[in-house]
Amino acid sequence: MTGSDTPAITCRNVWQVFGNNADSALKEALSRHETPETAALELRGKGLIPAVQDASFDVKEGELFVIMGLSGSGKSTLIRCISHLLHATGGEIRIDGENIVEASPKRLIELRRKKLGMVFQHFGLFPHMTVAENVAYPLRVQGVKKKQRLAKAQEVIDLVGLGGRETNYPRELSGGQRQRVGIARSLVADCSVWFLDEPFSALDPLIRRQLQDEFLEIQAKLKTTIVFITHDINEALKLADRIAIMRDGKVVQIGTPADIVLRPADDYVREFSKDVAKGRHAHVSSVMLPGEHHVYGADDPGLRQDMTLDAALARCMELYEPVPVRTPEGKLVGVVNPADLAAALQVEQG
Amino acid sequence: MAGLSKGAAAALFAAAAGALCLLLESSLPWLVKFPAAWVLPATDWVGAVMEWFLALIKPAARSFSALMYYPMEAANYVLSNTPWPLVIFATTALAWILGGVRMALMAVVGLGFVLASGYWPESMNTLALVAVSVPLALIIGGGIGILANEYPRIRQPVQALLDVMQTVPTFAYLTPLLVLFGFGPVVGLIASAIYAAPPMARNVLLGLERVEPEIKEAAVMSGGTRLQQLFQCEIPSAGQQIMVGVNQCLMAALSMVIIAAVIGGFDDIGWEVLLTMRKAQFGQSLLAGLVIVIFAILIDRMSGTLTQDRRQKHDPRVAWGILALGVLVSAVFWGSVQQPGTYALFNPVADSVDRGLSAFTSANAEVLTALKNNVMFYVLLPIRIGLDQAVLPFTWGFAWTPAMSLVLFAAGAAAAVVFAVRGQLALGVMLLIAAGMLETGISQLPWPFVLVGAGALAWVAGGRGLAILTVVLLGTILLSGLWERALLSLYLSGAAVFACAVMGGAIGLVSAVSPGVWRVVRPVCDMLQTIPLFVFLIPVLMVFQIGEFSAFLAIIAYAIVPMIRYTRHGLVSTPDEMIEAATASGATRWQMLKDIRAPYAAPSILLGLNQTILYAFAMLVIAALIGTTGLGQSIYLALGQADVGLGISAGAAMAILALIADRMVQGFAEERRKALGL
Repeated sequence: MTGSDTPAITCRNVWQVFGNNADSALKEALSRHETPETAALELRGKGLIPAVQDASFDVKEGELFVIMGLSGSGKSTLIRCISHLLHATGGEIRIDGENIVEASPKRLIELRRKKLGMVFQHFGLFPHMTVAENVAYPLRVQGVKKKQRLAKAQEVIDLVGLGGRETNYPRELSGGQRQRVGIARSLVADCSVWFLDEPFSALDPLIRRQLQDEFLEIQAKLKTTIVFITHDINEALKLADRIAIMRDGKVVQIGTPADIVLRPADDYVREFSKDVAKGRHAHVSSVMLPGEHHVYGADDPGLRQDMTLDAALARCMELYEPVPVRTPEGKLVGVVNPADLAAALQVEQG
Repeated sequence: MAGLSKGAAAALFAAAAGALCLLLESSLPWLVKFPAAWVLPATDWVGAVMEWFLALIKPAARSFSALMYYPMEAANYVLSNTPWPLVIFATTALAWILGGVRMALMAVVGLGFVLASGYWPESMNTLALVAVSVPLALIIGGGIGILANEYPRIRQPVQALLDVMQTVPTFAYLTPLLVLFGFGPVVGLIASAIYAAPPMARNVLLGLERVEPEIKEAAVMSGGTRLQQLFQCEIPSAGQQIMVGVNQCLMAALSMVIIAAVIGGFDDIGWEVLLTMRKAQFGQSLLAGLVIVIFAILIDRMSGTLTQDRRQKHDPRVAWGILALGVLVSAVFWGSVQQPGTYALFNPVADSVDRGLSAFTSANAEVLTALKNNVMFYVLLPIRIGLDQAVLPFTWGFAWTPAMSLVLFAAGAAAAVVFAVRGQLALGVMLLIAAGMLETGISQLPWPFVLVGAGALAWVAGGRGLAILTVVLLGTILLSGLWERALLSLYLSGAAVFACAVMGGAIGLVSAVSPGVWRVVRPVCDMLQTIPLFVFLIPVLMVFQIGEFSAFLAIIAYAIVPMIRYTRHGLVSTPDEMIEAATASGATRWQMLKDIRAPYAAPSILLGLNQTILYAFAMLVIAALIGTTGLGQSIYLALGQADVGLGISAGAAMAILALIADRMVQGFAEERRKALGL
């Protein structure tokens, strides 16, 4: 493995264009136009579809990088470029410094066997194989002996909590269990770069949250580099170290969850963060005025820099006395304790 | 043509062409009868080219045929020398594995019947052919399917080729094969392999295309090589669809092996049917036909279990037990088992069927003849040669006069005006055209009118491309001199398709409304679809003897099934929400059927019609055996004379007609589907 200063994944000006003679059309458009926007416009005018336009970013080793966007924004296409399920039309994609756009088919197979793992939205399980056979398949193609590969598969099956289901077929499992199989299969060959394409989107909300939590636990244990695709801003904010937001094939903002929520790059990103309970994702430090010479009151509710805004608000509210509640005519009907108000609004302790 | 709908414009255009032809036909006789001098000797050219080509590949073909001789002889030797108890027990064991007790019982009863009928040796000969041709077809078909999937560039041409192979009538294959391989069972073997390969190729390709993209991607990301992806992930994932292909391949091979018996040279069960039919021993031929049906059903149901989604597992130990018992029984009774061919338990039955049949036909001669003659004189003949020639004093009781023609046209015109006033110009004009066609008769339609009319219809169905294709293809038939025969074929299959559409539509409707009726109709449909084409000829021959009417009935019996199925399916599968919305709006049962279910079912019904047309064309050629005129007869004649040119040309003409009909109906179905947003 390379040093931690080289990024695990590097994307430089990645383009994916669909349509006839996309390669030459892209080269021509890029040579004629200064900005990617006008080049994309020309491609569209020719009836081609620039699904990913000029995407550039780095993913650090061990980072959980989330790509978020609505359907049709090009996020699934982009992850397929990075995993080389699609051959990128233009640009450079490096994994641990190696340009995989130019890798030979043989080298790609080797990379996939040793380094890359992928989880799919609709699981992509082989219907004719049992859970254990599905999970062990990446080892089977490498020619690992049956006993060894089943033993290795058993480890990951236990890791994802599917012990006892080894001989079931995918059709006999629930959606959540199927995705656990998908996750186990992608982990069996000890990958160092892990691609997850909307892994939890097809699941119902309760299962989704459960799997998100387990996913974070696995990530804490394995510390792989992760590219995670989602269309759900809350999922992105919950999981990500950094988020890239995509729209119409372009990456419009890359930043930490707090950046996205508090400093949206444009109206599109702002529209997303509207639905988000900001108090849960931003910390006190993001609204704090730094320095020691500020004037402040006598009360000290005990705020700390890394508290979420929700938690900080609750602490501040505790300083208030109970306040009255009246009918429209002004008759007193009761009182509210502001601390209770804050607690009720706060869905969970951040 | 502003303000006119596409349909109305096309109908008016065709009507104008028809009227013009009608007016000019007395002064320009070449309008009706395409002058022989204009005909290109295309049939001879095709014959010459084909013969040159065939001579070129003949050595290779002959050595291939010599090569195929060994596996065929081996299969034949094994099947006919294995003691019959062992064959029965082995089949039963296989049936147990595939379908449990029910299937095993079916195998025992079915094979028991075959044994008792005395047709065991002939059946084994047929099976030996199938046993060699099916693996061949599976390998060829599977290979084509996989290659077409691997190389998208050849997918389109391969699919077109498969389409053509399926529309070219079976007999048309036989003539060039006969020249190539000489008389003998190998021709049947190869013909059946060629005929059975396309369904396999089609299903393999379809199955592989339908594998979920994420499954393919998962195989890639697991680090599999292309071959590993294909054979470990994609093909097993497509297993069910591929098994459908295997099932269809088996059925097609069996059907073709039996049809190939017309070339003779092999003592198989198809030959037996043909022989007894020629000797008018209908009891025996029915018995032999039943044996074929039993094999068809056994093969279909046993291989059909492979296509089921979740198969029950049946204990293989039971199968081994059955097999061991078979070996034991064969060993113990080795000396005392009778030769299987000497059983003839059903001969008395067959004889009494013969006697009963003669008694029945002579007792009901009047009714039967009246039925046959009525349909012939009042329906088929007028459609074929037109009212002006079919209406004669000795059948209809009066002669057709020009005044009557005028009345007919006036009535048609009046109806057209009424419809036009009510805003349905296209329908009105089509009524007028129909009146004209009834007056003239399909076989005597002026050729310019047919070209224009078909072109106009194709234009409405599928736009300019289809119209051009239609006119050009019909033009080749015209120039090749097969025009009259093509019209005759068109007439008979058209009449049969029309009858199927009316009757099949009605049965489908009733089946959709009443589940009780469907419970009766469904097994009948299943049965009719399993029976090889050939067998349909036996019952109609028994009652109505050789002739066009028998052929007409046989075609209907075979081609009506898809119409019934698709009509019912279309009517039944209306989404529940639409039914609920209609119910909530207060629609009666009849309104629901008319306003909601029928429009929704239209694309499905059109597809049923499409299948019915293709089935009718397929049967038309087989029906030539019992006396039809037209292309089918030409193909059959060519087979007898080993005339490759005629065989190929007539086969191609037949395929052209089927292809055009297929594309047109598909075009209409597509348009309806789009209109419904499906």
